[in-house]
Amino acid sequence: MNGPDDFELDATELVRPYVITKGRRLPDDDQLSLITLVTAAPEQVQRPLRLSPEEQRLLDLCSAGYLSVAEIAGHTRLPLGVVRIMLAGLTEAGYLITRPPVARARLADKELLEEVLSGLRAKFG
Amino acid sequence: MTEYIENPALWALVVLLLIVIAVVVRQRKAAMALRQEIAGLREYYSDLEHHYVQSVAAAQEQAEEATKTVLKSAMRTLQGLAAEQQLILSRLQTKHGESVILQDLLEIDHTNSQFGRRAQSIAVLCDGWLGRHRDNASVYDVVRSAQGRVRHFRRVEILSQVDFGISSRAVEPVALALAELLDNATSYSSPDTVVEINIRAVPKGVAIVVDDAGVGMNDEERARAERLLSSDRVKSVAGLGNPPQFGLAVIGVLSERFGFEVSVDSSSPYGGVRAVVLLPHELLTSMPEKKAPAPPMTRSSVPPPQPNGPEPVPASPTTTDGLPLRRRKRPMAIVPGSAPTPIASARSGAETAAIMGAFQRGTRSGRAARGDDGDQTISTRGSSSEGHEFS
Repeated sequence: MNGPDDFELDATELVRPYVITKGRRLPDDDQLSLITLVTAAPEQVQRPLRLSPEEQRLLDLCSAGYLSVAEIAGHTRLPLGVVRIMLAGLTEAGYLITRPPVARARLADKELLEEVLSGLRAKFG
Repeated sequence: MTEYIENPALWALVVLLLIVIAVVVRQRKAAMALRQEIAGLREYYSDLEHHYVQSVAAAQEQAEEATKTVLKSAMRTLQGLAAEQQLILSRLQTKHGESVILQDLLEIDHTNSQFGRRAQSIAVLCDGWLGRHRDNASVYDVVRSAQGRVRHFRRVEILSQVDFGISSRAVEPVALALAELLDNATSYSSPDTVVEINIRAVPKGVAIVVDDAGVGMNDEERARAERLLSSDRVKSVAGLGNPPQFGLAVIGVLSERFGFEVSVDSSSPYGGVRAVVLLPHELLTSMPEKKAPAPPMTRSSVPPPQPNGPEPVPASPTTTDGLPLRRRKRPMAIVPGSAPTPIASARSGAETAAIMGAFQRGTRSGRAARGDDGDQTISTRGSSSEGHEFS
């Protein structure tokens, strides 16, 4: 077993992502989208001991202030969906609060601006 | 006396006696010869029997060896394929992390892990190859790794943790042995019960306690389990029965080879079996440090400050990963990207007034044409400046 043809497994991760998510399903997109903002719940003083290291890390990340889901996923280096599942779980358990993303600013009407521009051109051009 | 000597009857008697003696002696000789012959035959027979048993055992051993060799190399291929597939799955999971496909990828990953475990178990019984990890891992991670290798992993709950690691050479064997225990625990208990794992530091090392709420084992099963775990267990693949019961045999081999103890002889408080894996200090290490993230971060250099662009971020604080921490942002621009217009050089007051007037007229005509969009600029400005206060 420890012979010369023993095989190194370092390339594979020991704990697979489906164990980290505890086999839960992906949350709905409108519940937790890429740009939903997440922060640790303020009354969250004492950390429960039963959380996995990954969940603890997420709480650490979120304790500083609002972060978007996409940013959190970037910090953890886990597949995005896995992070979303964990965040949804932590939110349900009350450790995190989420805020829907800031509504996207509507762009100023391009036609209107073009008309202004042509008016200016007609006057001065 | 003399009359006796002359008596022919006496002579006849003497002759008869002599004949009888001679016959008896001959008979005894013959019997002795026969007895010797029988003893010889018996010896020959036992010799034969002995040789027969020996050659049968040799043939059996040979067949066993041949089976093991074949199975070992077959399993080696399967193990390699499972490991390869796991790598591909990891890549896919990262690539399609945002998509709903991830759900299915995770399920395939789970099936693949179970498949890999089966191949590993058979390989262990054939004295075969079991992959090893390069790094030490925490006991908790090894337990979770084992958890991921059984079908009903959702029913397994880890209730406590310890600050110990397992040395790299024992990571895979402990994970595999524990996975076999969990497989037994989850298969022999009802689907709505939970299998609890408690990890405790004890004077002899670390004990991993697995409690299930199944029906437990009767005396016969318990004896069989203890036999499988002890050193005089079934040594051959053929002795596993039909359907083959790998679990305990695999655990027996692994615990003996790597020097940890496994017992299944107590009952759990929930009525099922309590299995205890005792890891001695030789297999334990201190808590391994969190591995540094694999891909080296290429920090993009700070772009040169632009004349009218946002002020350059002065040495932003970074996380331990090297990713920048988010800072307070300026309100986003409403009009999409255009090069900043150079500030016009000095104009006369009248010129400026004329320009402003023309601008006003232009906007008014625009508004008149599309009245409903009149207050758009103001409203977008209002919404864009809120909600970006991060620290």
